[in-house]
Amino acid sequence: MAAKAALLWFFMDIYLFLSFNGVQAVGSGPSSDLNSTTAVTVNVTDANRATPADTDPTPSPGTVLPTPEPAGSGSEPAEDPAGSGSEPTAGPTEEPERAEEPTEERAEEPTEEPTEEPTEEPEPTLPTAAAEPLTESGSLLTAATDVGRLCPCDEHSSMCDMNCCCDRDCGEEVALFTRCSVTTVSGNKQLCSPPMAAYSLGTSIYGYSELQSSVRTESSSDVFCIHSQNRVDGFSHPSPALPTDSNFDSLFKQFTDSVFGLEDRAAAAGLQASAGYEYGEEMRTSGRRGDRGIFWLPAPGVTADCVDRNPAAFLKDEIRACSRRVVLDQDCQSLPALKMDTYTNTQLFAAKNEDAAVVPVELGAVVLQSAAGTQTELELNGEENLTPVLLNSDICANVVLKVVYVMTYSPAGEIMNVTVSLLLGFVSKSSSLPLNQEFEITFVQQDVEDVPVHYSGNPGYVVGRPLVSGSRTPDGIVRSIDPRETLSLLGTAVDQDCLKGPHQRSPVLFGLDSVSGCTLRLEDVVNCSLVSQQLLDVLRGPNYPLYVASFGNTPLSNQMEWVQIKTSFSPEEAQSCSIPLSHHLEIEWTKYGSLVNAQPRIVSIREIIQSNSSSLTLLSGGSSITSITTSVAFIPVSAPALPGYRATPTINAKLPYDFFFPFV
Amino acid sequence: MALRGSWIKRPRARLMYWNRPVRFWIKRSTYEEQPVVRFQYKALLMAATSLQGDFVAWSTFPLLNNMLEANLRIPAISVREEDQNQDGKLDLLIFKLQLPLKAEEQVYSVQLLLTFSYQLFRMSTVVMQSLVYVQHSSSVPGAKLFISGDLRLQQRAPLPHRGLYNVYNVSVIDGSSPFASAYDLENIIRSYQDRNLTTVLSCPTPVWTIGRAAGSPFELNAEIRYPLEVIRYPSIIVSTCASSGQLDLLMEFPALTVSSTYRPGFWETIKFAWIQYVSVLLIFLWFFERIQRFSGSCSGFLD
Repeated sequence: MAAKAALLWFFMDIYLFLSFNGVQAVGSGPSSDLNSTTAVTVNVTDANRATPADTDPTPSPGTVLPTPEPAGSGSEPAEDPAGSGSEPTAGPTEEPERAEEPTEERAEEPTEEPTEEPTEEPEPTLPTAAAEPLTESGSLLTAATDVGRLCPCDEHSSMCDMNCCCDRDCGEEVALFTRCSVTTVSGNKQLCSPPMAAYSLGTSIYGYSELQSSVRTESSSDVFCIHSQNRVDGFSHPSPALPTDSNFDSLFKQFTDSVFGLEDRAAAAGLQASAGYEYGEEMRTSGRRGDRGIFWLPAPGVTADCVDRNPAAFLKDEIRACSRRVVLDQDCQSLPALKMDTYTNTQLFAAKNEDAAVVPVELGAVVLQSAAGTQTELELNGEENLTPVLLNSDICANVVLKVVYVMTYSPAGEIMNVTVSLLLGFVSKSSSLPLNQEFEITFVQQDVEDVPVHYSGNPGYVVGRPLVSGSRTPDGIVRSIDPRETLSLLGTAVDQDCLKGPHQRSPVLFGLDSVSGCTLRLEDVVNCSLVSQQLLDVLRGPNYPLYVASFGNTPLSNQMEWVQIKTSFSPEEAQSCSIPLSHHLEIEWTKYGSLVNAQPRIVSIREIIQSNSSSLTLLSGGSSITSITTSVAFIPVSAPALPGYRATPTINAKLPYDFFFPFV
Repeated sequence: MALRGSWIKRPRARLMYWNRPVRFWIKRSTYEEQPVVRFQYKALLMAATSLQGDFVAWSTFPLLNNMLEANLRIPAISVREEDQNQDGKLDLLIFKLQLPLKAEEQVYSVQLLLTFSYQLFRMSTVVMQSLVYVQHSSSVPGAKLFISGDLRLQQRAPLPHRGLYNVYNVSVIDGSSPFASAYDLENIIRSYQDRNLTTVLSCPTPVWTIGRAAGSPFELNAEIRYPLEVIRYPSIIVSTCASSGQLDLLMEFPALTVSSTYRPGFWETIKFAWIQYVSVLLIFLWFFERIQRFSGSCSGFLD
C-alpha cells in the first residue's frame, strides 16, 4: 500500500516536471509571454550587416508562422486551431514557382504592426462583416514557413546577392562566392526531427565554387523532444486581427504604450471652478492690444542660464538667481531683459475670468548701485531716463540686476496690488559677465497690518531655520523682524582679509554645524588693542545679540525662556593685548516633550574665543598671515528615553493551609 | 560575546560557516528575474556647445521646448528595442541621436535623460517609472559619443514578497508642468535618488570620438541592455527542521567576495533536493496510508 502511494507521488512529480517543460509543446491557446515562438532559426554568418535590426532573422511579430512540416514525417496537423480559421498552412505546392517576391512582401508588409506586448493577453478581434478591411486585398498574407524557401540574405530582387547561397537568382555568379553568408536555415529545434536547409560551397573540378544545398531533417539529441504536435498554434504567433476602420483605434491602443510624437500638447485648461487664482497657478497679463499673456518670472532651467518664459506661480514665494549671457556692445541697449521697462510695463488680470479687473504693476523703489557696490535709493519724480546706456565699449549703466515683486492678494484669490522694486547697476565686460540677475516674488495677504514674524519652529526649532535671537533693553527683549538678522557667521569673500570690510554674513541655522574664516596679515597688527577690538567686531558681527530664544516661537514677553549667551572672553582682563584667533559658538540643545513629537529646545549657548598667548609670529610659524576661524557647533544633550517597564508580576498562588497535612 | 567563544571551540559551527550562510529563519532572500522594461520615448538632451557655456537643448516635453527658445535644437533620433532571445521580454535599447550644429559650435559635454517603465512580476508585482542619466564631458570637442551599458536595478530596501508595489509608478519628469524648476536636472535627480527603487546605467563605458568634420552633426549612440536582476525581498518561508543545538547558524558572516550566480548542475540540484523530497514524501506516505486504511475500512463497511 505504502509503496503504491509512493509511486503515485513519484508519478505526480514526474507529471509536474513534464508539464512544466511541455507548456510550449502543448501550446494551450495564445501564450501570454510567447515563449519560443521562433519557428525558424537562421544561422547568419555575414559580418557586414549594418544594424542588428537587419540581422533579426525572424519575420516581424504578427506574421503567422505555422509550424513547418517535417519532410518525410507526414504528421499533418489534425485540424486548424479555432482562432486562425482563415489561416491555411503554407505548403510548397500552394506557393507560386517564384516565391521571392511574395516573400519580400511578407517581410515588409507588417511595418505598421505593433510590437508584442508581453504583459497583455493578445486578443485577436475578428473583423466584423460590416467593417471594411484596411488592407486592399481584404485579408492578411499567409506566412512562409518552409525552410527551403526562407532566404534572409536575398536583399535584391532579380539580382544575385553576393555570398547568398540561398538566393535563387544566382547562377553563374556562384563561381565568385567565397563562402555562404547563410549556412543553415533550420526549423523548430524542439522537434525531434526539425527540418533544416543547409547551404555550403564546394569546389568543382575546374576549381570554381559550386553550390551544395540540401533540405533534410535533423535528428535531435534531446531526450524531451517533440515527436508530433496536435496543437499547431503552440509554436506560431497567433493570427493577428485584420485591421478595419472600426477596430483600428482599439488595436492601436492595445499594442502601443509609448511612442514618439504623441505628447499631450493641449494646455492644461483646468477647472474654472473659481474666478480667482488658486495656489500654484499661472497669472495672466494683459498686453497693450488686449491680448492675454502669462506673467513671467525668469528662473534657471536645465542650466543656470535664465529661462525667460518661466511662469510665476500664484502664492509661491520664490527667490531665484540666474545668469544671462550678454554681448555688451550689442545687447546693452536692445536686450529687453536688461531694461527696467520690461518689468514695470506689465498689467495683470486680477483674476482668471474674462472680465477681471486689470492691475498695473506699480513702481515701488529704484535703487542704484554704483560701480563700487554702494547702493542709493533714487528719488522718483518721473523725469529720469533709466534705460540702459553704453558708457563706453566696456561698461553698460542702468542694467536691471534685481527685481522684487510684491503682490497683495485677497482671500478670493484676486490680485489687489502689484509693486516692483528694482536694483539697477553697472555691468562691465571684464568683471560681471555673464550677468547674474536675481528675481524675487512675495505674496502678502490683504488687510494684514503687522509684518508677519517668522518663527523658526512651533514650538521646537526646525533644522535649517535661523536661530531666533534678541538683545535686552530696559523694556525687555527686542528682536529684528527680518529672520536673517540674527546670530550670524562670517561669510567668505574673494578678498580673505579680516580687516577689509564689508563682510558678508550668513545666519546661524539650527542643527547645522558650520565653519568659516578669514585671514589676518601680521603687518596689519600695529595697534594691538585696536586690531583686537576690530577683529572681535568682525567675528561677532554687527548688532551682536546676547539672548537666544529657547524655542522657535518663544514670545518676547516670556523673558525666562530666553537663553543668555555665556562668554568667557573679556579683553580687559588680559594683562597684555591678545588677538582673538577663533570664535566658536557651542549650542547645547535637548529634545523636549514626547518621544513621537520631540521638540528641540536650546538649553545653553556658549561663546568661546581663543586668543593668542604667545606672539603671533610664533603661532603662524614664520608666515606673514594667520587664519582666523569662526565656527558653530550644535551639541545634543538630550538624555536617552528610558523604556517604561511594567512592574514584575508577583505570583499570588497560595497552597491550602493543610497541603502538607500529615507531615507538617 | 558568549556565542563567539563557543564558535571558536566547536568545529561543527565552523563547518557551517563555510558551507553557506544557511539561516534558521529565512528573513531575507533573493530571486532572479529579467524585468519587463520599455523605453517611454521621453528624453531630455543638453549639450554644451562652447567653452563659454553656450548650450543647446531638446526634450520630448513641448512646454520645456517652448521655454528653451533660441537654445532649442531639434535632433534626429531613432530608437529600437530588441528582443534578442525571443522570450517576449525586451533585451536591448538602441538609441541613436544626431544633433545638428552650427559652424561655430562644438560639443564639449552632453547630458542625456531617458525614461523607462520597469516591471517585475515574479514575487511582488513591481511597476515603476525609472530613468537613466548619462553625462559626459571632455575638454576636446567631440564628434561622437558611444555608450553601452546595463540598466541595473538599485535597491535600498527589500521588496515585499507579494502584492502590488507601485509607489514609484509616477512620471520622473513632470512634463505637464510649465515651470522651469520641473525640468531642473538637479531637482529631477534629487527626487529620483530619494527613491528606494531606482535604475542606473551601470558600466556605461563612454567612447568619446573626436575630430568632427564641419557641417556634420554630433552623434550620440547608446545601447542599453536590460539584464537579469537579482532582487532582494523578505521571505516568510520558515525552515521546518528545529533543533536547539543549531543556534550557531544564526551567526551571519558577510561575504567578502562579490557573489556570482550560476546554474547548478543536475547532481548539485539533486543533492539539495532529495532531503526536501524525502521529508515531503514521508508525510505523503503517512497521509496516503491513512486514506487507504480509511477507504479500505469504508469499502469493508459498505460491503
